[in-house]
Amino acid sequence: MVYSNPVLFDKSVTIVEKFTVRQDCRKILIISAEPKEADAIQQLIDEINGQTEYELIEFNDETQLSHVNEILDQQKMGTQLYISAKWEDAVSIFAAAIEAGFSEGEIQTLISGKKKRYVYCLKCYHLQEAAAEETDIVCDHCQISLEIGPFFSRERKGYIGYPYNPAFATTN
Amino acid sequence: MYESTNLDLFPYPFHNIKEGSNYRYSNDLRKLEKDHTNCVVITPEYEKQIKRKRELLKEQPAVRFQSYPHTMAMQWEVVEMLIEMAVDRYPEHFQVEKNGNHWTFHNYILNETESFIFGDASSIELEPLDLIGRHFTTDFVLMVHRDDNLYLEVAQESYAALFSPHWNKGMTFDEIHAPVPFVSRTGVPLAERVRNFLIRNVLPGEPWTRINWNLMANRWDVNYETFDTWGPTRFLVTPENAGDLVRLRVEEQFFYRMPRSNAILFVLNTQFLAMKDLVLRPEWLNQTYSILSDIPKPMAEYKGFSPFIEPTVEYLKNLVEKIEFQTN
Ligand code: HEM
Ligand SMILES: [Zn+2]
Repeated sequence: MVYSNPVLFDKSVTIVEKFTVRQDCRKILIISAEPKEADAIQQLIDEINGQTEYELIEFNDETQLSHVNEILDQQKMGTQLYISAKWEDAVSIFAAAIEAGFSEGEIQTLISGKKKRYVYCLKCYHLQEAAAEETDIVCDHCQISLEIGPFFSRERKGYIGYPYNPAFATTN
Repeated sequence: MYESTNLDLFPYPFHNIKEGSNYRYSNDLRKLEKDHTNCVVITPEYEKQIKRKRELLKEQPAVRFQSYPHTMAMQWEVVEMLIEMAVDRYPEHFQVEKNGNHWTFHNYILNETESFIFGDASSIELEPLDLIGRHFTTDFVLMVHRDDNLYLEVAQESYAALFSPHWNKGMTFDEIHAPVPFVSRTGVPLAERVRNFLIRNVLPGEPWTRINWNLMANRWDVNYETFDTWGPTRFLVTPENAGDLVRLRVEEQFFYRMPRSNAILFVLNTQFLAMKDLVLRPEWLNQTYSILSDIPKPMAEYKGFSPFIEPTVEYLKNLVEKIEFQTN
């Protein structure tokens, strides 16, 4: 793992509401780890409409997912990757793809269910999940109040959580 | 508190601002003159500062020092450069003996000796930059040049304001500066421009410098990790106590291109001057008063002094008037 590699986070540029086909690629690889999204996958295949070579790989359980590295490593240059999965699976497939040499511009990720957002406590360096709409949170490790900032760290895998003293909170 | 007592060594931040002009962010990098490229400075506060720096590193190692394991060779290169600078400028305080790769570094101010095999990290207990950094009062950051950006890969920090090696580890120059309202007088975004400037102009043997400044209210350490503690104390400043509580906090910064690793070494010399000591240099007092009277709101918010800028300006105004009255 190279530290400067991108990681999947809730505002990742690769996350899409709907897949779109890029015709300029040599091959399309679809990794589908969420059977519930079968419709979205079918729509994508209809859109490809035989114009571009494509391969569909369906994973139904964890053991199969462990082969993902192998599959991604074998891909030729110019392959576009489409990931359809729940959050945790998408995170590991994404990381494997980056490791295999895919750039963010070559990946589209369709998340099934909720995207997750994490906050990194700058008081005790603990990472915890926060709901999408939350602006403030209490650290469940050190109990300090944290204001969630807009800055994300690949290294810490979360948004900055500024510790503050709520007794002195100001409105600005 | 470590106030600068030798004002000749205090890097007054507004030297290059025209009289009567205000302060705005800009690419204020200046090339160092050929015979002024040495960043090692021994001030009268040297021993006190080293003591505090080592305490902080010991109490909060994860807050104060961060690195990647692959940076050892780059760190040794910095060790070599700093030792050379120290010996060159202060031979009475620092000496080095080299027997092949067996080096012995003497610090006569502290009466300490460091012996190690140069290039062999197993010959020392700390990482190379962490070890040598404990002999100098400055902070050190190594920004590694990869694909048109600079990435923070090593940092030892005890003094610089709003700087967290732990949080900034692995970030690019642009990511590090994202919280700064880093725009020019005319609103042009500066981060990318400054980054490209650094990459193109900081060359081996051609270091650059700039001065960053802030104000702090009765507090030495102003990092994000302890914001809950120092944040509230900012509200205690009044026009009566600002002279003692508020300090001009200045970072004289140096940028060196390391010839072997191609990384940029960023060195920060942080010095403090109490508002009341500005009277020692009346021209500094007048200019600081004038500049602090006109700080854009986003800049004051970012720098963290919006809760006490008004009483501070009020204090300086009274001081300026008092001095004018005395001299007339
Ligand atoms: C290459 C090495 C550099 C590093 C590692 C670095 C790092 C930082 C950090 C950590 C901060 C505080 C960010 C925060 O609040 O989280 C900062 C602020 C800032 N940096 Fe840099 N910086 C570098 C070079 C520069 C250069 C060359 C310039 C300008 C020409 C610059 C201009 C600024 C400014 C204007 C601020 C806001 C500071 C204030 O207003 O108090 N930096 N920098
Ligand atoms: Zn915490």
